[in-house]
Amino acid sequence: MRILIVEDDREAASYIRKGLRESGHVADHAGDGEEGLEMARAAEYDILVVDRMMPRMDGLTMIETLRNDDDRTPVLILSALGEVDDRVEGLKAGGDDYLVKPYAFAELLARVEALARRRDPETVRTKLVVGDLEMDLLARTVIRGDEEILLQPREFRLLEFLMKHSGQVVTRTMLLEKVWDYHFDPQTNVIDVHISRLRSKIDKPFPRALLHTVRGAGYRLQA
Amino acid sequence: MQTRLPAILRTTAFRQTLLSAALFALSSFVILAFVYAASAGMMLRRADAVVNDEVATLSERFDAGGIRAINRYILQRTVGGGADYLYMLVHPTGRSLSGNLSGLPDTQPDDEGRVQFTYRRPRVVGTEDTEKDDRTARGRIVELPSGYRLFVGIDVDEERTLVDRMFNTILAASALALALGVAGGIFISRRFVRRLDLINDVARSVRSGDLKQRAPRNNTGDELDELSENFNDMLDRVEALMHRMRQTGDSIAHDLRTPLTRMRNRLDEALREDGDLEAREQTLERAISDTDELLGIFNAILSLSRLESGESRKSIQPLDPADIAEDLAELYEPVCEDEGLGFDSEIERGMTMRGDRGLISQALANILDNAVKYTPAGGAVTLRLRKNGEGRAEFSVTDTGPGIPDQDRTRVTQRFVRLDNSRTLPGSGLGLSLVQAIIDVHHGRFELGEGPGVSVDGRGPGLRASMCFPLKPDS
Repeated sequence: MRILIVEDDREAASYIRKGLRESGHVADHAGDGEEGLEMARAAEYDILVVDRMMPRMDGLTMIETLRNDDDRTPVLILSALGEVDDRVEGLKAGGDDYLVKPYAFAELLARVEALARRRDPETVRTKLVVGDLEMDLLARTVIRGDEEILLQPREFRLLEFLMKHSGQVVTRTMLLEKVWDYHFDPQTNVIDVHISRLRSKIDKPFPRALLHTVRGAGYRLQA
Repeated sequence: MQTRLPAILRTTAFRQTLLSAALFALSSFVILAFVYAASAGMMLRRADAVVNDEVATLSERFDAGGIRAINRYILQRTVGGGADYLYMLVHPTGRSLSGNLSGLPDTQPDDEGRVQFTYRRPRVVGTEDTEKDDRTARGRIVELPSGYRLFVGIDVDEERTLVDRMFNTILAASALALALGVAGGIFISRRFVRRLDLINDVARSVRSGDLKQRAPRNNTGDELDELSENFNDMLDRVEALMHRMRQTGDSIAHDLRTPLTRMRNRLDEALREDGDLEAREQTLERAISDTDELLGIFNAILSLSRLESGESRKSIQPLDPADIAEDLAELYEPVCEDEGLGFDSEIERGMTMRGDRGLISQALANILDNAVKYTPAGGAVTLRLRKNGEGRAEFSVTDTGPGIPDQDRTRVTQRFVRLDNSRTLPGSGLGLSLVQAIIDVHHGRFELGEGPGVSVDGRGPGLRASMCFPLKPDS
C-alpha cells in the first residue's frame, strides 16, 4: 500500500515510516498540513495518516479541504486529544478513524490495514466466510463445518468484526471501540476473557484454530 | 502622610464624594442665587413703585400750580432734613431750585429715566455725623414742560446692604458646603481605603506565597465585607487547589519513580543479555508494558484535569442507566468467572438520567475492576442498579474482598492514594479519583460502605461502592 504520513514531529514520522516499510508498505512523509495537502493531491495514496495539530495548516483543515475536493482517501487521524468530543470532531471533519497518542505501532498498523480494507467496494454482504466458518448476517447464524454455533449477541458482533477484518491484526483497543463502543482502557483483561470465550465456541471443538493471538498486538482471525 | 494623601485623592470613594459635594455646592448656589435675584428684584420694584407714587403726587401739584407748587412742596418736605424722599428740582439753566441733594445724579438714566447712584447723605440738623455718608439711592428723573427737570428718589442703602450681605452669605455657604464635602470625602475614603488596604495587604501576602492570610471581616454584610468574603472563599479554593497540586506533583514524582526505575533496570538488563535473544525480547516487552503503565497514569491525570475543568460536560444527554449497567455486566461477567468469582446482577430498567454514557461506563468499569482485583477467588461480585429511597439512580457494586477500613474510605478518592495492602497490585492510585471526578460532573454522589459481611468467607467484610445520580425530573 502507498501511505502518506502527515506529521510535524519528524522523529515520530520516521518511526511510523520505518515500521510501515518493514510491514511491506510504501510510506511518504509531509511535515505540515499544507505540504500534506499538496502531496495528497499530486499522487494517489491508499491511506493518509494525519496528525491533528500541526503548524501552517492543522490536520482537520487539511482533511476538510480534501473532502471538499471530493477526495475520499481513507484518513487515520493521530491526536493527543482523546476525549469523545475530540473524536467526534475529527470524524466529522472527514476522518475515518481516530488514534490517540501515545499509541503502540502495532495499533497504528492494525488500524491502517483495517482502513485499507474498507476502501474495497463494499457490496452489501449478507454472508461472511473464513475457512469453514460461515456467518449469515441476515439469519444471524454461525456455522462451522456442519455444526451451528450458538453465540450471545455481543459474541456475534465480536466475531462479525473479526471476520470482516479476517487476515488482519485487530487490537484490543479496536475491539473495545468498535464492538463495545468504549473509549477507555479497563485495567483488567476484559477483551482477552471475551476472546477466549469466543475461541472456546468457534475453535475448541475443531481440529484447526482460526482465531490467533498476535503477541504484543492483538488477534487475527485467519483460515 | 505625603504618600498617603495622593492615594486617597485617587480613590474612587473620594472622587465620588467630591463629585457629590461639588454638585451639592453648585445646587445650593443656584437655589440661593435664585432667591437672591428674586428678593433683590422685589426690593427694586418696591422702591420704583414708591418713587412712582411720589412722582404722581408731584405731577398733580404741577398740574394744579406749576413749578411754584412743586418747589413749595419740596421745600416743605425737605426743610429740617429727615425727609422720606430725595428731591431735586433743576431750572432749565441747570441751577438747582430746591431739594435735599447737591445736584442731579450724574449717572446716565435708563429709558424710563431711572437711575441708581451713590450720594452724600445730607446732614440732618442736630444729629451727629456718625453714619456712613456715602449711600445708595434709586429714583427717577422726570422732564417737566418748559425745561425744568425733577428728580424724585429714595434711599435704598439698607436694602442694598442686605442684598449684598445675602450674596456674600450665599457664596460663603456654597464654599462651606464644598469644603465640608471634600473633608467628608477624605474622611469616608480614608476609612474605605483603610479597609481596602487591608484586603490589598492580604492579596500582596498571598502573591508572595503566604496562602494562609485572609481578609478581615466586619460581618456587616456591606459591599466590602462581601468582597472580603468572596476573596476569602477564592483564597480557600486556591489554597485547596495549590495543596492538591503540590500533593499531586509530589505523588506523581513519587509514584512514577517506581515504574521508571523498574523500566530502567529492565532496559539495562536487556543490554547485558547478549546472546540470549529470547530473554532480551522478553525483557524489552516487559519494559514496553512498564511504559504502557506510565502512559496509563498520564492519561488518567489528563482525563482528571479535563473532567475537573468542565470540558467534558458537552456530551451529556438523557439515557437509561440500565443500558450502561447491562453492557458492563455482560463485559465483566466472564472476567469474574475467569477469576473464580461468582457474578450476579440485578438491574432495574426504565429510569432516565442525564449523563455521558462513556464516562459513567468508565466509572462503573473502574469500580468493577477494583472488585475483581481485590476479591480473592471463591468470592462474589454483585452489580445492582435501582431507584433508591431518595429517588436517585443508584449503581452499586458489592464484593466479598477485604473491604476498606472506615477511616480510609474518604481518603481513597484522593489522587494517588493507595492503601498499603494494595501497593503490590498494579494500579495508578487514580482510579477512584477518576470515578469521583466523573460522579462530580454528573452531580452525583459516591459512597463506600461495608459489603455483605465477614460471614461469607471469613476473610473480610467486603466492600460496597455505590454511585447515585439524580434522575431527570419527569421520569
